[in-house]
Amino acid sequence: MLVSTIVLYFYVRNLLQGEIEEELRSTEARIETSINENGPMYQLPPVVEIEKVALLGTERLKDTLIFDPSQDELEEFRELTTYSDIKGKKYRITVRTLIVESEDILVAVVVSYLVIILLVFSFLFYFNKAWNQKLWHPFFENLEQMKRFSLTSDKPILFMDSEILEFSELNYEITALTDKVRSDYKNLKQYTEDVSHEMQTPLAIIQAKIDNIINGDHLNDAQFEHLTSIQKDIQRLTQINKRLTLLTKIENQQFSNIEKVDITHCVGSTIQNFNEISDKEIKYERDDVIWAEMDRYLAEVLCNNLLSNAIKYTTGNADIRVIASDKTLSIANHGIRALQHPENLYTRFYRESETIKSTGLGLAIVKRICDLYDFEVDYKYEKGMHTFSITFK
Amino acid sequence: MKILIAEDEIELQKSMITYLECDGNVCEAASDYNEALYKVDLYEYDILILDINLITGSGLDILKQLKKQHKNTATIIISANSSLDDKLEGLDLGADDYLTKPFHLAELNSRLKAVLRRGKFGGTEKIDFNEISIDTRSRTSFIDKKPMALTRKEYDLLLFFVTNKGRVLSKAIIAEHLWGDNSDLADNYDFIYVHINNLRKKLTDAGAKYIKTAYGSGYKFMED
Repeated sequence: MLVSTIVLYFYVRNLLQGEIEEELRSTEARIETSINENGPMYQLPPVVEIEKVALLGTERLKDTLIFDPSQDELEEFRELTTYSDIKGKKYRITVRTLIVESEDILVAVVVSYLVIILLVFSFLFYFNKAWNQKLWHPFFENLEQMKRFSLTSDKPILFMDSEILEFSELNYEITALTDKVRSDYKNLKQYTEDVSHEMQTPLAIIQAKIDNIINGDHLNDAQFEHLTSIQKDIQRLTQINKRLTLLTKIENQQFSNIEKVDITHCVGSTIQNFNEISDKEIKYERDDVIWAEMDRYLAEVLCNNLLSNAIKYTTGNADIRVIASDKTLSIANHGIRALQHPENLYTRFYRESETIKSTGLGLAIVKRICDLYDFEVDYKYEKGMHTFSITFK
Repeated sequence: MKILIAEDEIELQKSMITYLECDGNVCEAASDYNEALYKVDLYEYDILILDINLITGSGLDILKQLKKQHKNTATIIISANSSLDDKLEGLDLGADDYLTKPFHLAELNSRLKAVLRRGKFGGTEKIDFNEISIDTRSRTSFIDKKPMALTRKEYDLLLFFVTNKGRVLSKAIIAEHLWGDNSDLADNYDFIYVHINNLRKKLTDAGAKYIKTAYGSGYKFMED
């Protein structure tokens, strides 16, 4: 751009100079002719000056600055001085003409350039923008679709068709990919469900046999201890199975009976149940009644899991605090120190300590239920209290 | 009591028979759908213990058949599926109770007796054991005709003991009966101990020393 501006500038200047020179020479020739024909001697300073001289000099072409009173400034002139011998008399003829100043040329060139560039740019900009928008519209539309993609939902991805081959190929590949991912995920879920389901019957057999052995004769105390310990482990396996199945069902969205559930009441009856099992004191403050649109069974599971978690993990005999306020239910239990990995809190089978026997699925279920209904679940550790709060919608 | 057990897992079937026959019940077994359908058709049973997922067909169809014939047979469904919908479907079709596998045989036994106590099977809602009598309709219990002041859980416990008299019951079985899924909350069963001790004290105070300790940590309800 810069180079072309410079080149153009010099080219235009040269062109003008050539033209001016030609003009000067033609004027000079006319004057000579006029003198030759004994015409009057024009004097039109500073444009034309004719002088008689004693000696002939060499022809000179130069630029000169002459004050122009009409413009009240110094103007640049091109000056051609020639000497000629006409009819024995020697004359010096000086012809001048006003030339366009270099800065003016430069300014003109640059300004016209700028105007052109600006015009071209804005035209191209809007043209490209419109064109690209049309061209990329399917792409962005599909990108939005992909952002909305969820493994758990069965909604198919509907891609917008595009005339561009690459986009069509991309769509095809993504559709194939998501179909594959979905079917793998489905298989995996089915597998979990099947395993849990298939384990129930063998467990039932083991359980029944142990019940019969306990009721048979010839047992000693140690054997009985072993058998009851096996019973406990069977119960644990059963719990894990039940919870895994529940998780799968939540993921499969098999709980579709949505109704208005009084969470405050639900928590109240859960606390009542737990008071019979646990000697941990649960303090319940009902500031507001919380209603939630959800499956009643899942609401019970939610309250149950949160409270049993608090009972299991509270340290010492410190009481558990449950507060229902506004739309938030918070459940706090004492703990000696903060969790080391709170980010894993809702991961299946994650346990912070092995000392407490648990299935490691309770909070994973809580999280799933909250995700299902877009409830917000929050954990924090403050002043020696682990607090879970659920904000219902 | 004549019981038909429709269960395709032979081992489970045998265990159930062993446990239930101890009480003097007559048990018959059906190992697949056709056999179960055939026996239900031909004979009269007081109780049908029905597995929903029989290899060759659905237990629910047998239940439908049973209801069609208007037979006065109590039905308890046992299923590996714990889903609420299945449970409701079974109960809607006229089943009297629903047990999810795995279950304790003592639990099955107590459910069985509870079902039979309901009026429509000609049972009585009163259970007597020597000087103890329990009215299951009003959920009250008497000793020597004097009402006993029992808490809800103590009453449940007494009923569970009486219906499984002479059986050894471990704390795990009792905990599961009383609190179901929540019984895993406390890993030691101290809280059961408290409830049993209270009940035992109330019985002993009235002169009924039936709750015995078995093998150090289990319990057995029996006469001396």
